Amino acid sequence: MHATIQKSIDEIAGYFKPGEKVFIVGCDNCAAKCHSGGIPETEEMANRLKHKGVNVIGWCVPQPKGISLCKLSNTKKVLEEEYGEQVKAADSFLVLACGQGFHTVMDATDGGMVHPGCDTIFGGETVTDNFITEYCSLCGECVVEYTGGLCPVTLCAKSLLNGPCGGAKDGKCEVDRDRDCGWQLIYDRLKALGRLQEMDIYREPKNNSRWSRPRSLTIGDWEATFKSLGGESKISSRG
Amino acid sequence: MSRLKEALKSGKFVVTGEIGPPKGVKLDQCLHDADLLRDHVTAINVTDLQSAVLRIGSLAVSSRLIERGLEPVFQLTCRDRNRLALQSDLLSAWTLGIENVLCLTGDHPVLGDHTEAKPVYDLDSVQLLKGASTLNQGRDMAGHDLDSNPDFFLGAVVTPAAEPLEPQIIKMKKKIDAGAMFFQTQAIYEPEKFESFMKQVQGFKVPVIAGIVVLKGAAMAKFMNANVAGISVPDSIIKEMEDTKKEDRKKKAVEITVRIIKQVQPLCQGVHIMPLGWDELVPEIISEAGLS
Repeated sequence: MHATIQKSIDEIAGYFKPGEKVFIVGCDNCAAKCHSGGIPETEEMANRLKHKGVNVIGWCVPQPKGISLCKLSNTKKVLEEEYGEQVKAADSFLVLACGQGFHTVMDATDGGMVHPGCDTIFGGETVTDNFITEYCSLCGECVVEYTGGLCPVTLCAKSLLNGPCGGAKDGKCEVDRDRDCGWQLIYDRLKALGRLQEMDIYREPKNNSRWSRPRSLTIGDWEATFKSLGGESKISSRG
Repeated sequence: MSRLKEALKSGKFVVTGEIGPPKGVKLDQCLHDADLLRDHVTAINVTDLQSAVLRIGSLAVSSRLIERGLEPVFQLTCRDRNRLALQSDLLSAWTLGIENVLCLTGDHPVLGDHTEAKPVYDLDSVQLLKGASTLNQGRDMAGHDLDSNPDFFLGAVVTPAAEPLEPQIIKMKKKIDAGAMFFQTQAIYEPEKFESFMKQVQGFKVPVIAGIVVLKGAAMAKFMNANVAGISVPDSIIKEMEDTKKEDRKKKAVEITVRIIKQVQPLCQGVHIMPLGWDELVPEIISEAGLS
């Protein structure tokens, strides 16, 4: 899930010119789970901004329930068919969702001004309803087969592929003594799995071109093509 | 050939020193500190933005040591430079007469004074060693031939007091396979732990130079424990310093340092003395430890 957190109300309120007609759009999937852009938060944002003198002309969180704002076809349909008048009348939009949902609103409307109401912070695991944390950095070159399932790019502050460094103390990372050393976790896990020999193997430097932005995925029949600056990689999912 | 390489090869017990470049553009004090070490050490490490604090770079200062007839150990970290810049700085270093290179990961930017800087770590220390070895063999890291090649004497770091120790030993072996020909350790304060470490790495047959940090006092020890990556001063030594009168601090610092040096000497191939500001004590320490 894409974790998001609202920007401060002052930063958001500062976006708008006097009289600017704003339509607010939230997201019923990740932003709802993060309570940054679900139905209650989007309604509340409309109220707060109105209270600050912003000309909010309406708001919506596209349905059906749980759908991602970043699904362009649905967002476009909902905005055109259910909120068509307000969308046409709006000078701009405020989006309470991740950067993907944000861009979808740009694509779904006439390309006018869209204001970001949230910071998109990471892709994370919903450990509990109230705690989401990052285990994957979306680097495009997964190595967790060799690290007992724990990602060194994410869990090691230096993203070392041949860890650890010499800075850990009592199993805690040098950047924050409350944070576990990623390679301590990997070492413990490999030991527990009986796979410690994976740490003996030299790991080549990262292919950063697979982590270039923007990247794309084109999906075909039982195959997919991943495109990055590192080239095109076509994989078949059968045969 | 580097004097350090020759000395280690001959089985001589070596002493290396260290200087840290300043934050500014005047090198007088730094070069003066290096000069103090002239006849007392085989080579002098030049740190690379130690603790991620902005300073003059180790390449420039290492070059100035060469000019003065001193032998540097050029410290190169992975924190600030990608693989292009690292290989380029290595080639540049060779053209300036630098042969000894210590390849390190590097302290994270959040520990330093530019906490918002982008941490690079395009390579880790093992990959950097491999890259430098590859340059030694006449190719760059992308496999292209060089028209001429360096012949670095490559070093790496290990933390003998790490707990658990096994990951350090695993990585030390990887560093040797990647081309490390000597090791300088993080600061040793417990010779027994160091002895146990040396027993485990005997089979690697690579020279180990024990790192020694001169402690100014209990406050410094506590500060380092809390803030400096890789350093762990035991309570017994902190207490020893706390029980020392202020006017006897320098004497006590020398005493503790000399004691540790004498205890580690039979166990390894050299000592690396990191004065952290008390550079003027180093010749005295070396002499009292019987290493002149």
